[in-house]
Amino acid sequence: MTTIDAGPAVKGRARTLTPLWLLLPAAAVLLPLFVYPIYQLGLLSVLDFRQAQVSGGQPTRFIGLDNYTDLMSAPRFWSVLWATVLFAAALVLVTLAVGAALAVLLTKVSRWAAYTLSLAAMAAWAAPAMTGSTVWMFLFDTNLGLVNRVLGWEGHNWTYERLDAFALVGAVVVWHSFPFVMVTLYAGIKALPEQVLEAAQLDGANPWQSFWRVTVPMLRPIIAIVVIQSIIWDFKIFTQIYVMTNGGGIAGQNLTLNVYAYQQAFASSEYGLGSAIGVVMMLILLAVTLVYLRLLRRSGEPL
Amino acid sequence: MTAVTHDRTTTGVSKETRAKITWSLLDIVVVVFALVPVLWIASLSFKTPATLSDGNFIPREWTLENYRVIFSTDQFVRALINSIGIALIATAVAVVLGTMAAYAVARLDFPGKGLLVGVSLLIAMFPQVSLVSPLFDIERRLGLFDTWPGLILPYITFALPLAIYTLSAFFKQIPWDLEKAAKMDGATQAQAFRRVIAPLAAPGVFTTAILVFIFCWNDFLFAMSLTSTEQSRTVPVALSFFTGESQFEDPTGAISAAAVVITIPIILFVLFFQRRIVSGLTNGAVKG
Repeated sequence: MTTIDAGPAVKGRARTLTPLWLLLPAAAVLLPLFVYPIYQLGLLSVLDFRQAQVSGGQPTRFIGLDNYTDLMSAPRFWSVLWATVLFAAALVLVTLAVGAALAVLLTKVSRWAAYTLSLAAMAAWAAPAMTGSTVWMFLFDTNLGLVNRVLGWEGHNWTYERLDAFALVGAVVVWHSFPFVMVTLYAGIKALPEQVLEAAQLDGANPWQSFWRVTVPMLRPIIAIVVIQSIIWDFKIFTQIYVMTNGGGIAGQNLTLNVYAYQQAFASSEYGLGSAIGVVMMLILLAVTLVYLRLLRRSGEPL
Repeated sequence: MTAVTHDRTTTGVSKETRAKITWSLLDIVVVVFALVPVLWIASLSFKTPATLSDGNFIPREWTLENYRVIFSTDQFVRALINSIGIALIATAVAVVLGTMAAYAVARLDFPGKGLLVGVSLLIAMFPQVSLVSPLFDIERRLGLFDTWPGLILPYITFALPLAIYTLSAFFKQIPWDLEKAAKMDGATQAQAFRRVIAPLAAPGVFTTAILVFIFCWNDFLFAMSLTSTEQSRTVPVALSFFTGESQFEDPTGAISAAAVVITIPIILFVLFFQRRIVSGLTNGAVKG
């Protein structure tokens, strides 16, 4: 910093200043935009902050960890946390299985077929979550939906049973997220030295064996990255659940932490409690992201 | 590969062909699975109310009525303008600031570089829902609630780290020595940058802009919690208000048309820049 008034600018010193000027705008924007809301999040989570305080009718009151103890003692919180973890785990497994299978498929078909598939998949990936949720809702509509018509199940309500609803939402999420896994793993497979897979084939390995014994071990770093990205993605699912189960399903049976936090804050006007859930969410994802960063570093990605 | 095929007996070859056919059939099934929902909503949007629920994939009676209806309502047109304006501004700011920061990360050595990329990633992974309550409170106090900046700012918060991360990966692959070579050949710094580096960097910047735009354009959570009127409501949220309102007899057709309109730009991006988008997505994970 003091180099500025250090007389005539020496070339070497001028160069060390450049990163600062290049990074300053981004930092100046990000720090207040990110740090202040996080500070506010922590603050709200220890306040009694509801509709009355929002409208200014009552003063905000410091209540310490009461929001957290309320949350921890609520059976609903634990059931929602469980549902979130199980739902995300199931989604990660299915997305990974589908994505990996299709990545292998891409290596087997002609170039044109591979191109068409990845085009179609990327369209699904990039489609707004709102569009995806809306279409699938129409497709699975109780009375008018195409699916019920084809299956001859007219009148079957896909969001009535808890598991049915989770499965339907899960199908949409997988539809949105398998393309990322597919293209990433495919890029990984293509980057593998060709001779290795050919050698396995010459040694008489069938596709199944060469996938598990050769491709998977060699792609381990990329698979780890894809798994963690999927965990983070699937933990944050909001739009699909909110839209398709109408804000968390019948009596909140399809709530996940994400939707629960939103519902507490905005539907019940319990902003303090909603923030406490937000803090819990943040800590969980922080832990996952730190694992991710360690993996990246270990796989040699220069950060 | 060819040597292997030559050694095979005819039955071996036919087995290979059969496998190829199986794989190709699977390929078609997946393409259909991926595309049907998009095509189905497009089909619904062109149907008349009478044929809306006939289950035909191709509309029996084509109509543009649904599009006419949504484009004649302020509710939708205003939301579309909001969506376009907010996403474009947020993307522009994020990409410009992100390019500067990523250039520093890729080109220059400075202490705390690893930390910077780590923090970008941390923010990109951050659960947006956690910030919704505090942002609601902050924006109400600052008068930003239900305004364009009220959405642009949180979008930048998440789009900028994404841009820094994606662009750093792109910029690391640029052969920067070419710049030095150009200068040795007598080009000035500005010429070297404009003629050599800018064309090499442009695809990465462009790809990042698309990714960032898709993120802003598709957002539902912030748009729903930080807006309350047509003044700043974006299309994904306006869409959810189509239901329940008695403005349209049966909102299915109108909703479908609106959903098609917000999906078209996205589909066009994918159609024209599929390879770039994929490389932008996989760059961070796959080196090469």
